[in-house]
Amino acid sequence: MSNLPPSSARTAFINAGNQLIPTSAYNYTELAEIYNQARVDYIVPMPMNNKRMQEYVQNYDISLDGSVVAINGDNLPCGVGMLGLRDKRGWITRLGVIPDRRKHHVGQAMMESLIGSAQDQGATLIQLEVILGNDPARLLFEKLGFVPTRELLVIRRPPSAPTPNLAYDSLKPITLSEADIPAILASRTDTPSWIEETRSLLNTTNLRGLRLVSDAGESGWIVFQRSPFQLTHFVLNYSDTWVAKALLYHVHKEHPMQDTKIENVDVGDQLWDIYQQMGYLEIFRRTEMFLHLK
Amino acid sequence: MSLIVVIEDNPDNSRMVAKLLRAASHKVIVAEDGETGLTTVFEHHPDLVLIDLGLPDIDGQTVIALIKQQPDLANMPIIAFTAFQPDVAQNMATAYGCHGVITKPIDTRAFVGQIEGFIAKLVS
Repeated sequence: MSNLPPSSARTAFINAGNQLIPTSAYNYTELAEIYNQARVDYIVPMPMNNKRMQEYVQNYDISLDGSVVAINGDNLPCGVGMLGLRDKRGWITRLGVIPDRRKHHVGQAMMESLIGSAQDQGATLIQLEVILGNDPARLLFEKLGFVPTRELLVIRRPPSAPTPNLAYDSLKPITLSEADIPAILASRTDTPSWIEETRSLLNTTNLRGLRLVSDAGESGWIVFQRSPFQLTHFVLNYSDTWVAKALLYHVHKEHPMQDTKIENVDVGDQLWDIYQQMGYLEIFRRTEMFLHLK
Repeated sequence: MSLIVVIEDNPDNSRMVAKLLRAASHKVIVAEDGETGLTTVFEHHPDLVLIDLGLPDIDGQTVIALIKQQPDLANMPIIAFTAFQPDVAQNMATAYGCHGVITKPIDTRAFVGQIEGFIAKLVS
């Protein structure tokens, strides 16, 4: 359990003539612009346009009232931080401070505000991910009581049909109907990060799914999102690694022209080995961190 | 003189590379997101595309894949322009069929030579 320090940076930030404004006071274009400015020199910038920002807010249950934009004494935005809320959990994301407006504990002031908002909403756990190598951010999170839980991978696979495999081809996948997908996701046994949770997936559109059963009785299913240019949000459930590979094989055989990006694969999960065997590359790593609140 | 399409959302970066390339007598068209970049490349068939991998609408890797899927553009020289770690950038550029990679921040003295080197190598 955390012994949170008093909101010292938030109070000092406001007493110095700055403001923390709820993001609900801004439109998605403005939020994307502030976020992009704040992330311009990041290891992995991941810029967003207004459409991507809106989808992000909707898919990941971001509370625009609980999220903040930091404004300095010259009335200029100096950073943004967002808070997702689900039941008694909060998720801090998209945190960044515009490079020439850093220092002055802006990041900590926003973090304290986001943690306070989560507590006000009854959260007993706050989680976040920090890109490996972003030491200043990680130090700030540790200072606030967050502890690392696991390392997560962001991986990609360029478009291509998989190498033909007669054994996989002998299995005929069954396409899951859209109506079946919520029920099958309810049976998942993995421990996904926030953005890969079932609630995130069900907030999106264009979910697809396949199920396989081998003659030997091994079985598995895969659910994923097929956006216009990309496959993403993979959820795999399998009784044997061979089935997992067969499922990926059939997905990429069906969608050979689609680029694939999968976020937050647990580095210790055997799925990472399977993904690598199916042509996936590591792009970067994140550390997941939790803060348990009293 | 070559026609180069720069797909880069950061205006400071795109201004700088465009200025350097134009000073070396190249024609440059800047696109600030993936969708505009695709339209520009499809319309102009440039001699080389320099593309940031982090774009605000469509990931740069996906844009590269979409260009490569056009039969008449499949061999168009594409250079990835990224702040990723050099080894990751190189692996990704190779996997996505790029002809090279330039990591950020650029070396302003070497940049034009790098681009012209890619073009010369690809033409020869």
